Amino acid sequence: MSGLDVARRDLPGVGPGAGPEAEALASRARRARRRRRRLAGNAAWYAILTAFAIVTVFPFLWMLLSSLKGPLDPIASVPPQLIPGHPTLDNYTRVLASLPIVTFFQNSIVVAIFVTGFNVLVSTMAAYPLAKMRFRGREAIFYLLLATLIVPAQLTYIPSFILAVNFFHYYDTLPAVILPGLASAFNIFLMRQAFRGVPNDLIDAARVDGAGEWRVWWQILVPIVRPSMAAVAIFTFVTSWNDFLWPSLMLHTRTGMTLPVGLAALQGFFSSDFRAIAAGVTMTVVPILLFFIVVQRWFVRGLAGAVKG
Amino acid sequence: MTRRFRATPYLFLLPAVALIGVFVVYPIIAVVYYSFTDYDIVRPPVWVGLDNYVQLFGDKTFWLALTHSFIYLIVTPILIILSIALAIVVNRKLRGIHIYRALYFVPAVSGSIAIGLSWRFLFDRTGFINSVLQSLGIIHDPIQWLSTPSLVLPIAMLLTIWAGIGYYSVIFLAGLQNIPEELYDAAVIDGCNDLQKHWHVSLPGLRPQIVFVGVISSLAALKVFDEIYVLTGTTGGVLDSGVTMVFYLWRQAFRLEHAGYAAAIAITLLAITLVFSMVNVRLLERQEADR
Repeated sequence: MSGLDVARRDLPGVGPGAGPEAEALASRARRARRRRRRLAGNAAWYAILTAFAIVTVFPFLWMLLSSLKGPLDPIASVPPQLIPGHPTLDNYTRVLASLPIVTFFQNSIVVAIFVTGFNVLVSTMAAYPLAKMRFRGREAIFYLLLATLIVPAQLTYIPSFILAVNFFHYYDTLPAVILPGLASAFNIFLMRQAFRGVPNDLIDAARVDGAGEWRVWWQILVPIVRPSMAAVAIFTFVTSWNDFLWPSLMLHTRTGMTLPVGLAALQGFFSSDFRAIAAGVTMTVVPILLFFIVVQRWFVRGLAGAVKG
Repeated sequence: MTRRFRATPYLFLLPAVALIGVFVVYPIIAVVYYSFTDYDIVRPPVWVGLDNYVQLFGDKTFWLALTHSFIYLIVTPILIILSIALAIVVNRKLRGIHIYRALYFVPAVSGSIAIGLSWRFLFDRTGFINSVLQSLGIIHDPIQWLSTPSLVLPIAMLLTIWAGIGYYSVIFLAGLQNIPEELYDAAVIDGCNDLQKHWHVSLPGLRPQIVFVGVISSLAALKVFDEIYVLTGTTGGVLDSGVTMVFYLWRQAFRLEHAGYAAAIAITLLAITLVFSMVNVRLLERQEADR
């Protein structure tokens, strides 16, 4: 780079002493050259970005296009045919006729709303004393919660299964999926970070004014940590929406399934009927994508805020 | 603290502690107990001492699953490198960059089952990958991707990497944006080119994020299940070629009803996870010491 600049300065007519018009002309040419180079550079970046975007989105696009294919459109052919020649919604009606996709949706929504609502409430409550109060056993409780973070959830499924069958008697019902998910140490940890960021003076001032802890929590702190609550809510919602293994152990009656469990059942039901499975996948992915587009900003902010150095 | 006892902090904590106690702490204790019993979920557990662990030691499938889970950890360094690279690319101020960032995030919110199904058909004998390769004349006959034992695990890992890059790069992007611009300027004055700039400034600046992603993605790799379940059509693959620790745990506990034996697998998994977490704590401590 610098070598090139030196070489250019040595060119006759561009160097110092060549007169103001020539100078202006040369600088304009230089600017144009720089702009061209930047445009070329940007084009290369856009090429990389677009290539990666295609790799990322292609499987979904392929599912969408395949779900619209009629029986005459080949799924696999040489060369591959992407765009359906005879577009049809038959695959969707076939899937909807044999599996209660709408009910799967309702179940997933019920589960996700309960799980999200409770997680936000419970973790916002638990985080306050852990961050801002002094009491006996605080360290012990905090480290116990932290320890549960590193334990893989799958480890707990055997005893939880037995609890569900023998103790709670909620096997094969939605509460079996909701109850174990109502609180998470990870969310408590996130909220504790948020509460720690609130200045103590603010809380002390409210206490001096005679506000009880519950009022301090609800009227002073909750409004301040609201962005973190939103992040917890979105994360929990998406995680709950996509959760598979535990719900698949609990939910077996077709009308009681959540979406991922129903989708796995779809695979068994239509086995190699790719058009139907593509329709099922498209129907389940599109709503969560729309949801993501709406909440994208908070999602990314929450994820970024979770790991501040 | 000579303060009088106050119930308030405990009341705030009560719901969380009760729920986590019942659904996390109790099961962990119970699973330790079950691992020393012969238990089929239906009849009451019978104490058998270390029998399950002894049996585990001689169980070829268990060792295979353990090996597969460790092989799966390769996704972690690959994910870190590719996610940082992507974060550096999307950190450029280009028009419409937000749209690209959103697109890269799509796999992270779509759910493992939906993604797994689409990949299963991409790699089907009559799937898109074979169509393309045949059209280009690279292969003549379609490849049985997911029925070839040596390919099942690599495809699952590729899926995990593909689905994770967009997610983890958001974390790295946030890290990059926290690095002061002056550090880059100083690097340029010192004669660094673009690549050297990122090597000397971005990488050290991203250290907390690298540790975080390293921990999160390796723990996720150790407990991979959904991808294997869907890609192998619930079988675990030909010759158990896709069986991982959690998949084997699931099969033993919920397919074969060997809950006691599966509990022993769970405890092994826990031990491995603990070792990993200890390594992680050491890394974090070193990081603190460097400050």
